[in-house]
Amino acid sequence: MKEEQILLSDNASSLAVQAFLQMCSLPVQVVCRPNAEYMSPSGKVPFIHVGNQVVSELGPIVQFVKAKGHSLSDGLDEVQKAEMKAYMELVNNMLLTAELYLQWCDDATVEEITHPRYGSPYPWPLNRILAYQKQWEVRRKMKAIGWAGKSLEQVLEDVDQCCQALSQRLGTQPYFFNKLPTELDALVFGHLFTILTTQLTSDELSEKVKNYSNLVAFCRRIEQQYFEGRDKDSSSTSRFSKGPLLR
Amino acid sequence: MAAPMELSCWGGGWGLPSVHTESLIVMAYARFSGAPLRMSAVDHSWSAPQGDVPVLISEDAVIAQPAKILNYLRKQKYNADYELSAKQGADTLAYIALLEEKLLPAILHTFWVEAENYCSVTKPWYASRIPFPLRLYLPGKMSRKALNRILLMRGEPPLYRLNDVEAQIYRDAKECLNLLSNRLGTSQFFFGNTPTTLDAFVFGFLAPLYKVHFPKVQLQEHLKQLHNLCRFCDDILSGYFRLSVTDG
Repeated sequence: MKEEQILLSDNASSLAVQAFLQMCSLPVQVVCRPNAEYMSPSGKVPFIHVGNQVVSELGPIVQFVKAKGHSLSDGLDEVQKAEMKAYMELVNNMLLTAELYLQWCDDATVEEITHPRYGSPYPWPLNRILAYQKQWEVRRKMKAIGWAGKSLEQVLEDVDQCCQALSQRLGTQPYFFNKLPTELDALVFGHLFTILTTQLTSDELSEKVKNYSNLVAFCRRIEQQYFEGRDKDSSSTSRFSKGPLLR
Repeated sequence: MAAPMELSCWGGGWGLPSVHTESLIVMAYARFSGAPLRMSAVDHSWSAPQGDVPVLISEDAVIAQPAKILNYLRKQKYNADYELSAKQGADTLAYIALLEEKLLPAILHTFWVEAENYCSVTKPWYASRIPFPLRLYLPGKMSRKALNRILLMRGEPPLYRLNDVEAQIYRDAKECLNLLSNRLGTSQFFFGNTPTTLDAFVFGFLAPLYKVHFPKVQLQEHLKQLHNLCRFCDDILSGYFRLSVTDG
């Protein structure tokens, strides 16, 4: 997705994958394309292109990288692995869905931010058509999982509950499974950092996350450790933010 | 609350108090937390106030959806999670998300989309609980809703066929069952010796899968190999629902 086109939820997913690959010490080059959604085998961004293989979404990417011999979660026992997967689902279920809701179902955000950004690489009327099509798709999904009836306050409350759970699980540890980061840390970082640093019509979403100081410290820690050293790649994280560092 | 609350839900069969996952979750939670609920099995979905089952009817409120009903019961001081630590509460949320993402599509598929199961078991059962002429329409609607949910949840572009999705969802479900089994280990409930919200949710999802007799049973067979999960369901049934394990 191009720089001005990318939306909150896709940015979050993309950052999560970048963080994961950095944690595995695998070099990654970030490329933006307006038709990225169509290039991806599952219709979702981000995807990685390695040699002649294309793998999309964090789950399959983790599996792919594992098959190549790099894994962050080998040191975990069975119960911990179960917990890790459960928390990853929680983030997907609540944070990602809330991001999608905010982007596509909240009318103010849709008008001011989503439609203009999503359609920006295309000429009129294609930009409006594609944006409406995507919006219709997302609203269908929301309806199927029962989120269509939710009000913005309820969605924000869900985000708060999710952040509370993450904050309690993290506690005072540096990473979710103590000393070493795993794909869960990458996923949580991707979403929380994006929420904290993306400018939306209102600050309510990022305020919810800011309530939990250990989560903010967690994001800062990962940013410093994995993103600031790298000149070329760190520009991708600061491109979309209000500023490179968190307040 | 002094006055008993009434819970409208789908009825039972095959040794279960209810064959409907969401109804079962609420019933189990009520038993665990000691809430006095009067169960009434619905005959037809539209007689329940919002058309969605299960529904809790108390003196001052009518509440649908399991999550909201559980919240309401907690506010009325029927709290099964009283002794959990903050971290365990967080774990509960995470595991429930896991169940909904990984296990639910396969369960929906087994009950509502798999043609043999649907025609020989699910549809007749639900149709017998719904009056004519609604019974000709409602099960079909529930089936379409389930299929829709599976396809949209998996985020597959409309071009993909159900077959590709099927293989993936069953793989995910089996993995989820393995994870649950690992997490439960040898303890009686997920957080020690007293059952909590998570136990209610897991029971609600697993019990119908475990007990209902289906012609096409791949997921059920996988579940039956995980003895600690089967023991978990049987324990709750005999301990909290006082039904004989050999029923059905």
